[in-house]
Amino acid sequence: MSKFLLEIITPEKQFFKGEVESINIPSLGGACTIMAGHQPMVFATEPGMITIVEEGRTREAFMSEGFIEVRPDETIAFSEAVEWPEDIDERRAKEAKERAEEMLRRNRSAAEYKLNRIALQRAFARLRVKHHGDAGWKDE
Amino acid sequence: MSDTAEIKHRIKSVNDTHQITKAMELISVAKMRKALEKHAYNAAYFETVRYTIKDILQHSTDIRHKYIDHRPNNRTAYIVIAGDKGLAGAFNNNVLNLAWKHMQERPVHYVITIGQMARAFFESRQQPVDLEFTHSVTNPTLHDARGIMRDILELYDRNLMDEVIVVYTRMNSSVSQTPEMVRLLPIMASDIKSDFKSSFTGEILYDPSPKEVLNVLVPQYLVGMIYSTLIHSFASEHAARMMAMSSANKNADKMLETLNLEYNRSRQSAITTELLDLASGRFASQN
Repeated sequence: MSKFLLEIITPEKQFFKGEVESINIPSLGGACTIMAGHQPMVFATEPGMITIVEEGRTREAFMSEGFIEVRPDETIAFSEAVEWPEDIDERRAKEAKERAEEMLRRNRSAAEYKLNRIALQRAFARLRVKHHGDAGWKDE
Repeated sequence: MSDTAEIKHRIKSVNDTHQITKAMELISVAKMRKALEKHAYNAAYFETVRYTIKDILQHSTDIRHKYIDHRPNNRTAYIVIAGDKGLAGAFNNNVLNLAWKHMQERPVHYVITIGQMARAFFESRQQPVDLEFTHSVTNPTLHDARGIMRDILELYDRNLMDEVIVVYTRMNSSVSQTPEMVRLLPIMASDIKSDFKSSFTGEILYDPSPKEVLNVLVPQYLVGMIYSTLIHSFASEHAARMMAMSSANKNADKMLETLNLEYNRSRQSAITTELLDLASGRFASQN
C-alpha cells in the first residue's frame, strides 16, 4: 500500500510524524478516511477518534476539534488537543462529561448550548477512545 | 572633600542598588528566553491557522460570517496590553501612549486592560476601564488566551462593539521593540500577515464547506492572535527591562569607580595630614 507523510500538531507539541497508509478522521460531514494520493482538501473535524494505519498496524487516538489539511506532499492535522488512549485522564473526562450534562440541563442561551454540546462531545470521545483503544499499535 | 565615612556609606548604597539591578537583569534575560522558546512551539501551529483563514477569505468571495462582516457603526474596543510593573525603560509608556492617541480619534470606545500599569494609566486619565484581565501578563498561557477570547467574543456577539483592536508591543529583537496595533475583529484578509509559504498553491477544497471550516478556525485564530500578542508583550517587557537594567548597571559601575577614587583620595589625604601632624609635633618637641 502506498504511503504518505502525516503530521499531527497541537499548540504545545508535535504529536505525530511519520509515513502512514491511512488516517480515519471525524470530519464535520461524517467520518472519512484519507489515503495516499487524496485530492488537496481541508477538512474541519469535530471531537472524536482518529485511527492511524502505519505498516499494517492501527492505532487510535483522541482528537479535539480542529482541521486537517491534505496537500500533495504531506497531510497535516491541527487540533488543540490530541491524546493517545494511555494519556487520557479518565476521571477528568468523566467529570467533564457530568459537568457538561449538568450545564446542558440548565440550557440557557444558544451560544452556551453550543459550547456545552461540544464539551460533552469531547468528553464522550475521550472516554470512548480510552475504553476502545488499547495502548500501543495493533496488528490488523 | 567630603568625609570618608560619608563616602563609604554612599559606596555601600550604590553597591546594594547595583546588586538589585544585576539580579533583575539576569531574571529578565531568563524570562525573555523562556517566553520566546514557548512561543516558537506555538508559532508553527497558529501560523498555519492564519494562513488557512487567509486562503479561505481570498478564494471564497461570497462568504458571509458574523466575524467577517463589517458592522455599520464605529464603536471600537481596545485591548491594551502593558506590564504589571515599571522599571522597564519606556516600555509601558510607549504602548500606552499609542493606545491613548488612537482612542482620542474614536468617539465611542471601550477599554479592556491587561496588566496593572495599563489600568493605572487609564485611571489617572479619568478613562473608565470596562474590563480587566489580571494575572495573564506575568505568565501568559494558552489557557489565559482562551479565557480572554471567550469573553471578547461574548461581548462582540452581544453587539456591544463593532471592532476590536489589540494594542501591544511587538518584539523585533532583544534590542528593538515597537508598540503596534492589530485588528482582531472583524477578520480581514488584509490584516493577516502571513510569511508562511505553502508548498502547494493550487485550489484547495474545503469540507464540508468553507464556512464550516471557518467556524472551526475563527476561535483558534483568535486564541492564536491573543496568545502571540501576550507573549510578544511579555518578551518585550523583559527585553526592555533587561536594557534598562544593563544601563543602570553601567551607571552604577561608573559611579562606584569615581566614588572609590574619591574615597581613596580622601583617605590618603587624611593619612598625610596625620603624618604631618606627627612629624611636626616630633620636630617641635626635639627643638
